[in-house]
Amino acid sequence: MFNNLSSFVQKAQSAAQQLIDPMQGLNLTNSDRHPSKASLFQNQFRLPSSQTPLYEIPAELTIPPSNVTQGDKERDRGWHYAGKLHLSEFYMCFSTTPTSFTQSASPSSAAAFTGQTHGAGPSGNGFTFPLCAIRKVERLNTQSLQFALAITTWNGISQESVKDKDAQKDKKDFREQRITIQLAGSRPACERFCDGLKKGLRNAVGSVGKYKKVISECYSEYLLRPEDKKNMNPPDAGLGMIFRYPGDPKKLRDRAKMRLWAEYLRDNGRNATLIRQPTFHKLIRVGLPNRLRGEIWELTSGSLYLRLENPTLYVDTLAKFEGKESLAIDEIEKDLNRSLPEYPGFQSEDGISRLRRVLTAYSWVNPDVGYCQAMNIVVAALLIYMSETQAFFLLSALCDRLVPGYYSSTMYGTLLDQKVFEALVEKTMPILWEHLVKSDVQLSVVSLPWFLSLYINSMPLVFAFRVLDVFFVEGPKVLFQVGLAILRINGEELLDAADDGAFISVLKSYFSRLDESAHPKSENPKLRAINRFQELMVVAFKEFSGVTHSTIQDLRLKNKDAVLNNIENFAKRTAIRNLGPDSKLLSPEELGALYDRFYGILYERQQRDHIIQEQLARTKASRARATETYPEHHNHGIEKGRVGLGPSTSLMDYDAFREFLASVSKWAISDAPAASPRRDVSEKDRGSYFGSFRRSEPNLLSPWGGNPEPADHEFMQRLFRRWDVDSSSTLTLQNVVTGFAHIKGKRDIMGTITYFFELYDDDGDGRVDREGILRISEALLFLSRRGLEGSLSNSASTPTPNGLSESSSSSLTPPIGGTINERFLGSVSAFIRRCFEYADPDHPNNQTTNEGTSPSNTDEPAGDNNSAFAIGDDEDEEEDLLAFEGPTDSPKPEKKKPELGDTIPPALGKPDTDNEARRAVSKAQSEKANAALDPSNPLHITLPTFRMVVLADELLEQFFESSFPTSLHLIDGLASTNQSTSSLTTFSNMGFGRTSGAPPPVPQAGMAGAGRSLRGVLDNIVTDASRVAAEVRRRMEEAQRELEKNAVPGQRDEEEEEEEDVQGLRPTGYGGDPERRSVRSSDRDLLDGADAGAGAAKNPEGQSQLNVDANGVQDARPRTSSSATQRIVEFEG
Amino acid sequence: MADSNAPKPSSSVKLVLLGEAAVGKSSLVLRFVNNDFQENKEPTIGAAFLTQKCNLPTRTIKFEIWDTAGQERFASLAPMYYRNAQAALVVYDLTKPTSLIKAKHWVAELQRQASPGIVIALVGNKLDLTNDSESGQAESEGADGEESGDARKISTEEAKTYAEEEGLLFFETSAKTGHNVSEVFTAIANAIPETSLKSTRGPGASSAVNRGGDEQRVNLNGPREAAKEGCAC
Repeated sequence: MFNNLSSFVQKAQSAAQQLIDPMQGLNLTNSDRHPSKASLFQNQFRLPSSQTPLYEIPAELTIPPSNVTQGDKERDRGWHYAGKLHLSEFYMCFSTTPTSFTQSASPSSAAAFTGQTHGAGPSGNGFTFPLCAIRKVERLNTQSLQFALAITTWNGISQESVKDKDAQKDKKDFREQRITIQLAGSRPACERFCDGLKKGLRNAVGSVGKYKKVISECYSEYLLRPEDKKNMNPPDAGLGMIFRYPGDPKKLRDRAKMRLWAEYLRDNGRNATLIRQPTFHKLIRVGLPNRLRGEIWELTSGSLYLRLENPTLYVDTLAKFEGKESLAIDEIEKDLNRSLPEYPGFQSEDGISRLRRVLTAYSWVNPDVGYCQAMNIVVAALLIYMSETQAFFLLSALCDRLVPGYYSSTMYGTLLDQKVFEALVEKTMPILWEHLVKSDVQLSVVSLPWFLSLYINSMPLVFAFRVLDVFFVEGPKVLFQVGLAILRINGEELLDAADDGAFISVLKSYFSRLDESAHPKSENPKLRAINRFQELMVVAFKEFSGVTHSTIQDLRLKNKDAVLNNIENFAKRTAIRNLGPDSKLLSPEELGALYDRFYGILYERQQRDHIIQEQLARTKASRARATETYPEHHNHGIEKGRVGLGPSTSLMDYDAFREFLASVSKWAISDAPAASPRRDVSEKDRGSYFGSFRRSEPNLLSPWGGNPEPADHEFMQRLFRRWDVDSSSTLTLQNVVTGFAHIKGKRDIMGTITYFFELYDDDGDGRVDREGILRISEALLFLSRRGLEGSLSNSASTPTPNGLSESSSSSLTPPIGGTINERFLGSVSAFIRRCFEYADPDHPNNQTTNEGTSPSNTDEPAGDNNSAFAIGDDEDEEEDLLAFEGPTDSPKPEKKKPELGDTIPPALGKPDTDNEARRAVSKAQSEKANAALDPSNPLHITLPTFRMVVLADELLEQFFESSFPTSLHLIDGLASTNQSTSSLTTFSNMGFGRTSGAPPPVPQAGMAGAGRSLRGVLDNIVTDASRVAAEVRRRMEEAQRELEKNAVPGQRDEEEEEEEDVQGLRPTGYGGDPERRSVRSSDRDLLDGADAGAGAAKNPEGQSQLNVDANGVQDARPRTSSSATQRIVEFEG
Repeated sequence: MADSNAPKPSSSVKLVLLGEAAVGKSSLVLRFVNNDFQENKEPTIGAAFLTQKCNLPTRTIKFEIWDTAGQERFASLAPMYYRNAQAALVVYDLTKPTSLIKAKHWVAELQRQASPGIVIALVGNKLDLTNDSESGQAESEGADGEESGDARKISTEEAKTYAEEEGLLFFETSAKTGHNVSEVFTAIANAIPETSLKSTRGPGASSAVNRGGDEQRVNLNGPREAAKEGCAC
């Protein structure tokens, strides 16, 4: 049930995402369907991902007649091949297969392929020369042809032999490799190519030394050495040199093969300078000789070029991470003793430690993959034939290109290829397939290890290596061809097998008899000599020659989504189940939705990031070289982020967190319209993540894609920090779940209040200081600025037992929604006031001084502040508060309104006009003032106070009880409620219609000034509700300073005529309002000296402002002031 | 016990082994099937398949054992193997606390995703590394592995309590010495409800099963009442 629901939700959500983000639906398969030409180019020549095709030109390759030792007449004339010559940054490649990678060429002309490897590897005849392997290029003067180049390579010229005096002597049996290439393009095209080549060669000169060092580790260099120099130590050709190579060399006819290869290499160049001719592929098919095997694997897989690119990477990596530990290392350690344990080399410390080093080094360079069981077996096999360094790079080539995703942390490549394999079986052997389905035999349980360990564990080693020989040159399709051939050959017996057990035992016994004759009873001795493995190879490559690289690519594409979905469902199930006890506070649906949202956002962000990066690269590239450039760089990263592909990241940073919140809560969506300057600022603040770039491509490249821009409020930062329990600046799914569980899970108001309090209790000492109180109120305004959700009683204030509230309910109970917002503003301001009223001073000693000086204490001795919060007192307070509440509650604003009417106008008028001046003055004054009265005088509230203050207000109570937890829409997100763009309008609409229904404003002369001055404030406020809070705060500080100024007795006397507001305030706080006074005196025990007094005193101001703001937001400006006025009037009346 | 007596009814039971890497899943199977032990057993790639018969007084059970790879990332392959399994052996390593956590995850996964009637046995392996290996496991309760030579990190009590809560069979074994190994399988054989034993898996019985591997019916019954008579604790 859970499953169904969550998958439904997932579907709905992904559908929604596609609507929101047009890229979403495409990007998964984008790179698959349209692989970049660069990646096709890299694939064909097995080049590192740094290489892009720069120039290409039709050309004819002429390989001169070979050694004099060859008597063959045919060969004397040499060989000619027509094909295409390609140039990349660091390579010149020739291939006879008709492939084009130019920018103008269609992708299909690059992908369409007829060669043996079908685009999966070096095919046809030709070469892949690193430019640094080219010794010189001469332009030949031929009459018939416009352009002919003679290319001489460093083939066979080792470092020593150059210096060697005997070099001349060697020349006798050494012929330098020199080929000619006739370019067949137009003259300008030829010249362009030559220019490119010249430039490339110049750049490559510096790498010649590196090249020579790299090839000196190739066994062929040793093999082709003149006999008299063979006394040198041969390069490392694997553990086999020490522990013998598997199999009987005689039976393998190793010597004969070696001889053939030596001859071929002598004629056609060795390692990096090897030229592929038809014999090359044939020699590979019959099996490589032991000592050359590693080198040819390295060459055909292209890992040689990786090594050439960064020869010291292996050694450097080991050195860099020496002594470091990781999970991968633990896992590797477990398997070291169980990797090809039957091979003597892996019963020795030497072999084991080689294996350890290669696996460890790889786990460091590719932490996403780390270590996967089966890699130990593959690497162990490689190490029999090659050095550690070679094995390291070959492992990279395997993981990145040959069997991508096989060893990833989700193994999606493995699972995908199993689906592909099943599809191929169904297509090519329908009867067998039907039988498998009917007898409920799951093919992949048999075939999965074949692919994952490249047949190394399934077949006897000697045969598995033969498969690898072909696999490295022809690519992954070989694994499929061999697998299909195995099933085809055993078809009859498999049809008799009724269950998994029988099925497996048929294949097991087949593998164990691979070396037997395939036709033991044949009369024909030649036929009898063919063993089962040879038969297998013939069936694989003849009968299944139709299985090509593109067949496989197509099938992979087709099955990819289903496979990834399966993995993701499993991962989700597992992840949710393992989330720990906190997760139990949320419903399975909520967890599922949270999970989807969490990874959905990470995925989307990565996609966007990638697109942006690509754009950047493109712009850069096009700037760098305007023509004939291929902007696409390696595309490996394009799919990162999807869970099924392995968690390239499962950590959420703050920006992602904001985006996450914005997808579940209205309040987390930014108010700024997309193009507002404010946004640019905030963008820059974040470290020019997207730079100026965003502006040029507004939509696609918005850092938030199609999603609403999240707000960035201090509250969100606090939430993030709170959830980030290990202070890693990132959140895991667990963090997020725990975070939500604590807010939404308990549904208990006390819990939520405590949670809120703790959010603002920075040092965890159970106190929130003045700053914190203001921040809390800001947060409350921030969270409520788009209206409140959850169950709010409409009549929050009405039941209060006094007529005052009724009449002042002013708006004559205006329709619910509008007033709730309005009332909430009031509640918040009351909250601030009460917090200050009931706050404790941090230093009780100050208290006495405070009291002495504080005007608030005039009528009563301060009493014991600390005990004011004793439990017993709480009740009193409660009562007082309630009584107090009556007038204040919804009319809270009104309660103050009288004051507003009387006193605020001047107070407000001033700050708006000569704010700065005033501030400066008041600051100076406050400095002069008693230290205890300084606004920085520490003061705090404790959790019980906070709780009491919250509970004192019905609306706040409801906010904590229901509205805040409900504002997080985990399951349905904001899809339905999303009003991101119009939300502000909503807010303002919300109240306006309603207030407008209120009685017509009664203009009041006294208020005119206030109205006007308020308007200035409102101008700024209307666009951004959260500024209200800032404004409130500023005012309060000012008021407080003023107040303190007043509070100092001496200061009262020294009068400043100009400061009307000061005078205005004085009566407000302490004399002007009898009701307030009485409240205060009834609460006197709680009073806290100057601070409390100041807080109380400034509140009216803040409150009135809030009130007005609320109206202002709801209304067009002219109206605002008047409606505020009107209420005041009412109240007074 | 591997001898089969012709007259007795015989049925096959699909059993899957799950658990963290290197807890000894393959070794348990090897002990059960071949009565053998290998110090350095190659890690299982994907899964290994073996069969062994188990003779009960009234019938013969032929176990079709799927021995799965333990490494974390292979976990997503597991549904392929536990599909239709009638029994599961969830193995942990007595000397490794994390392995019990992983085992609990597997139990939860099986209870939710595997066939509804699946019989699950929780098996703590590597008893030979603990002090109570010679004395038998009777006095092992509360052993906390602090003394030298005792590598035990998970007390019998802890695991047993958990097993009882979840309705699992529970054993502590040593694949190395063979202690308790065949008892596990016998107990499972006994616990398989008679009704779920079809003579052998026939084409008809299974053709209805969806091949998707991930789409099994969800078991909402929670911990089932497993027959406990085989529990040797």
